[in-house]
Amino acid sequence: MKAWLTAHIQACERAFMRFRFQPVSSLLSVAVIGIAITLPLGLYLLFANITAAASRVNTDPDVNVYLALNATDQEARELEKRLKQIDGVSQVKFVSRETALAEMKRVANLADLLTGLESNPLPHAFSLRPASSNPETLTVLRKNIAALPKVEHVVMDFEWAQKLKRFATFAERLVMLLGIVLASAVVFVTGNTIRLQILTQKDEIEVSQLIGATRRFIRRPFLYFGAVQGFFAGLVAIAVVSGIVAWIGSEVQALTVSYGSEFALQSHSAGQALGVVALSALLGWLGALISVSLYLRQPGRL
Amino acid sequence: MISFSSAKKRYPNGFEALKGVSLNIDKGEMVAVTGHSGAGKSTLLKLAAGIELATQGSVMVNNQNVGQLREAGLAVLRQKLGLVFQDHKLLFDRSAFENVALPLAIAAFPRAEVGKRVRAALDKVGLLNREKSNPVTLSGGEQQRLCIARAIVNRPAILIADEPTGNLDQEYASTIIELFRSFNQVGVTVLLSTHDEVGLARLNCRRIVLDQGSVVA
Repeated sequence: MKAWLTAHIQACERAFMRFRFQPVSSLLSVAVIGIAITLPLGLYLLFANITAAASRVNTDPDVNVYLALNATDQEARELEKRLKQIDGVSQVKFVSRETALAEMKRVANLADLLTGLESNPLPHAFSLRPASSNPETLTVLRKNIAALPKVEHVVMDFEWAQKLKRFATFAERLVMLLGIVLASAVVFVTGNTIRLQILTQKDEIEVSQLIGATRRFIRRPFLYFGAVQGFFAGLVAIAVVSGIVAWIGSEVQALTVSYGSEFALQSHSAGQALGVVALSALLGWLGALISVSLYLRQPGRL
Repeated sequence: MISFSSAKKRYPNGFEALKGVSLNIDKGEMVAVTGHSGAGKSTLLKLAAGIELATQGSVMVNNQNVGQLREAGLAVLRQKLGLVFQDHKLLFDRSAFENVALPLAIAAFPRAEVGKRVRAALDKVGLLNREKSNPVTLSGGEQQRLCIARAIVNRPAILIADEPTGNLDQEYASTIIELFRSFNQVGVTVLLSTHDEVGLARLNCRRIVLDQGSVVA
């Protein structure tokens, strides 16, 4: 146990020595890998923010039921009762044609135009809140409501919610794809760094193996090097993304406040940061493992 | 300690370096392998050190069948041997001290003991005052002695040396022969190859003569 620990500590020291002896190329590799990780991480945060912003807008589908123009108040009240009895309707709000007209005058600055009209062109209407947002249930609901007497139009606004959902899925896949591509780039970049290191230490490896070094012993400092390099690259990526979020974040906030919203740009959580650094270290380790194993398995080697 | 039974070695290019060698070396014995170049001396030593494997027959070292060991087992076997190479195999990017410390690093020796062990080994071969030197600055004889220091730093029970006096003038060669004699006197089993008759006379030990891959005497 003690020998095992000593072996690992010494391998770790050798890995750090290599950092010290090749500071420039080590730093360059850290930068390259860091940037490679920054891209998917940044894109992930971008999409996460877009979907978060979009979900602040009420995506619960509203159903608007417009009655025929000739529907009387009495008929409207009867319809209200029937609507309340329908399964899957959780809220019914009556909007009389007078209220609608008054509202329109107030909101749309159409007062001048509307006062010129002889009669109210707007019908009575109901605004319903369905219990479910499942598109199939909503389609059935629409059919049922449309069959009721004096109902002229049923307008449902659930399609854009679906579109948003699709966009989120698409963005998620894009990030995942980019993540996979760039994760393999991290593996290859590390693999190449390690390969160059192996070439400069060919003699040491050969002599060590001749006098009894196991492959495991040869591999160990390279694996530590790859993991440590990945670890630092992960830190670089987190730092870059945090910097960008801080830089853009204040602007975004000023902008959204001017629109009367309280939306703030979300950065990664501490757990996500930890995960990115750990994953990056793991990828570096993997790249080193592949590179050094390929070298040690060459035919004619001990 | 080391025994070969009908060990054959055929290299991938078809050259048969050893044609069925059987021999036995006891614990504490000193044996010199001689013969013309190309007779198979180096191959015999490589088989004993687990650097090459016999293509037929078997080689036992330290009661272990070398041919049945896996990669890590072979490496651990070599850790327990002291190996001296014809071309020294020193590392020129580090000091003499660090060269000798390499086997200790491989064996994961506690740091506190490394300095003591390395200096004892350097002292034994008379290079204590050169511990900071780069091997490039050492003479051929000094390089050979440095290689010997690296071989003995782990206090092995078996020393295997391929042409340790090759390319050295008489004076250097005799110091090295004396070194091996002193190791043997403290109980180390020594297997070395040489074609140096003067050295052989001084060693005054059992000889194995190889010719074209077979033991002839």
